[in-house]
Amino acid sequence: MLSVRNIVKQYASHRALDDVSLEVERGKIFGLLGPNGAGKTSLIRIITQITAPDSGEVIFNGQQLNANHINRIGYLPEERGLYKKMQIGEQILYLSKLKGLSTAEATKRIKYWFDKLDMGSWWNKKVEDLSKGMQQKVQFVATILHNPELIILDEPFSGFDPVNADLIKNEILELNAQGTTFIFSTHRMESVEELCDNIALIDKSKKILDGAVTDIKSSYRNNTYCIEFTGKVDFSNIDLFEVLEKKDVKSGTNLKFKLIRDYTANDVLAYMIPKVSINHFTEVIPSMNDIFIEHVKK
Amino acid sequence: MNKILLIIQREYLSRVKKKSFIVMTFLTPIIIAGFYGLIIYFSIKGINDKIDKVAVINENKTLTEELTSNKNVTYEYVDESVQNLKKNLGKSDFDYILYLPDFDIESPKGIELIGKKQAGLTLDGRVSDSIEDLIRDYKLKKSGISQADLDHLKSKVNIITKKIGDTGREENSSAGASTVIAFVAGVLMFMFIMLYGVQVMRGVIEEKTSRIIEIMISSVKPFQLMMGKIIGIALVGLTQFLLWIILTFSISASAVSVFVSKDDAKKIATSGSQITPVNPGAQQIQAAALSDGPLGKVQQSIKNLDLGKIITIFIVYFLGGDLFYSALYAAIGSAVDSETETQQFMMPVMMPLLLSYALSLSVVTNDPYGNVAFWLSMIPFTSPIAMVVRLPYGVPGWELALSIVILIAGFIGTVWFAARIYRVGILMYGKKASFKEMVKWFWYKN
Repeated sequence: MLSVRNIVKQYASHRALDDVSLEVERGKIFGLLGPNGAGKTSLIRIITQITAPDSGEVIFNGQQLNANHINRIGYLPEERGLYKKMQIGEQILYLSKLKGLSTAEATKRIKYWFDKLDMGSWWNKKVEDLSKGMQQKVQFVATILHNPELIILDEPFSGFDPVNADLIKNEILELNAQGTTFIFSTHRMESVEELCDNIALIDKSKKILDGAVTDIKSSYRNNTYCIEFTGKVDFSNIDLFEVLEKKDVKSGTNLKFKLIRDYTANDVLAYMIPKVSINHFTEVIPSMNDIFIEHVKK
Repeated sequence: MNKILLIIQREYLSRVKKKSFIVMTFLTPIIIAGFYGLIIYFSIKGINDKIDKVAVINENKTLTEELTSNKNVTYEYVDESVQNLKKNLGKSDFDYILYLPDFDIESPKGIELIGKKQAGLTLDGRVSDSIEDLIRDYKLKKSGISQADLDHLKSKVNIITKKIGDTGREENSSAGASTVIAFVAGVLMFMFIMLYGVQVMRGVIEEKTSRIIEIMISSVKPFQLMMGKIIGIALVGLTQFLLWIILTFSISASAVSVFVSKDDAKKIATSGSQITPVNPGAQQIQAAALSDGPLGKVQQSIKNLDLGKIITIFIVYFLGGDLFYSALYAAIGSAVDSETETQQFMMPVMMPLLLSYALSLSVVTNDPYGNVAFWLSMIPFTSPIAMVVRLPYGVPGWELALSIVILIAGFIGTVWFAARIYRVGILMYGKKASFKEMVKWFWYKN
């Protein structure tokens, strides 16, 4: 639904985006990853039409990105705030009217979301009377109220307590199930693995990696497994795998190994099962965090 | 366009609903009306002022002619010693003792005015004027001028200033009234532009520091946000101005009816144009001019000035000037992170405003048709103040039209200029802005 093609953005002496291209599929959650200052926000500002690229183009639903698309995109910036002196209800109403909703429709939807997110009595409160986490909830509601097709969330969970973070996460998943596409910009990898279908990794203004999370992770598999068992077995003349690490723990022995030649995990299990009792067996897949760090360090 | 309207609506309503706005709007006319009432009250009190009774002890051998009483001071010649009179002053119905020693007529010295209270400047002036007149009359008579000629010499002059209007028709005007109106208009314009310009700047800074700007900017164009804010706040100013005018007039009217009885009101109205010549002397004219002359005259002339026209044009210039300067203030607000950083940028914006204020109230009021006045009222940086100051003196239609056209072009220019800085500035955090930086922003592509 969104395709970013060869975007270049230059700020005076600093090149914020250097020939960045990516594809966001409809109905997916897309993770835009990268360390601080990599160019994530610059890219988002181009997608939300706050700035324009120096070259390259953005295609939204098959059309060149234009002013009509503004109302179909919801954006929750990382640096977010609200008018301090304004009442919550009035404020969300104002923001959603700017997105093209009528007063009646907006009021109806605000009431719906207030009920849903336990914000029932907040309408007449002022922003300055709310905690930071509460303000984030208000901002989240303001972002999604106009039913955008594409929602861009920049570091959405910073500032949330675990309970509210979970609440928001569930709302995101629910909206996603209904067909809303998301772009997540973050440098927190845990949330990426939980939520994202696809990612792109940006570092120093360039895209250095992209693809489906599962694909990326499996491409970083290197036939390493972890097994824990009780019992004794001699590994000294086994040519199935190479032992990377062995330690004795309370519940038994913990072994990390890497398969050699064309052997599979099944071969290892077949060899082990008669000899010891196995507590657990897993493949060691590098986390997104590892992949991220590995790439950024390069 | 619809979005700009929404922004205007929010900026307008959020300010008009504020307590400070409501208090300011209602308190100011009450204060103005109060002052107005006080002035009228005192000017009437001046008319009805109790007459100072002065006991004159004349030991002068040359000055035998008696001082003539007038409506402010009565002189009564007594034949007593100063010591005696001083002692009994508390009991007597005299307020002051005037002691005229036997001075040399060429250099009058040693004259004393002794009172229960210290004599005020006005009384001091009145008494010394009386004595001076007396000495002059004596000298004139001594040089052979008869009493009849002397009376004939004294004449009361009251100038009626007139100007030829655009239509060639003669209009009554008064330099005094024009100056008063010009002064008030100039001060008001300066105040309004400053006040509401700074409000725009604060609004922009508030949006920046509260980070709402990032949310706003994903729904509206920076230009829309800036224009909405500027126009919304200008409308707040306009509302305040109109309310002030309406409230001031209505409160003043009721204040006048409370403070002033009908007779007094008549007296005020007529006092300027008609001074009853009970005893037409120099003192009389001066006294009249001091107490009730200017007020009556100004009131009279204000009636002759076309206030409706002045207020309408004031509003045009207020909107033009406010938009012109507010755009610049918005640019400043967008460039900084907090109000404390605004100082260095405020200077260049304040300078033309201060300059036009200072020049308008000195040079322009002195010579409202001169070159300086003309150019000040054409340059859009100074025209809002300079033109409203010139207005009461009468400005040719073509000058007015040209100046308004230039002002409109001017604010389109500043809005365009400011918008280019604003769109970059609002998204810049933590960067210390400088003029160099702002020039760079100006040339940024979108």
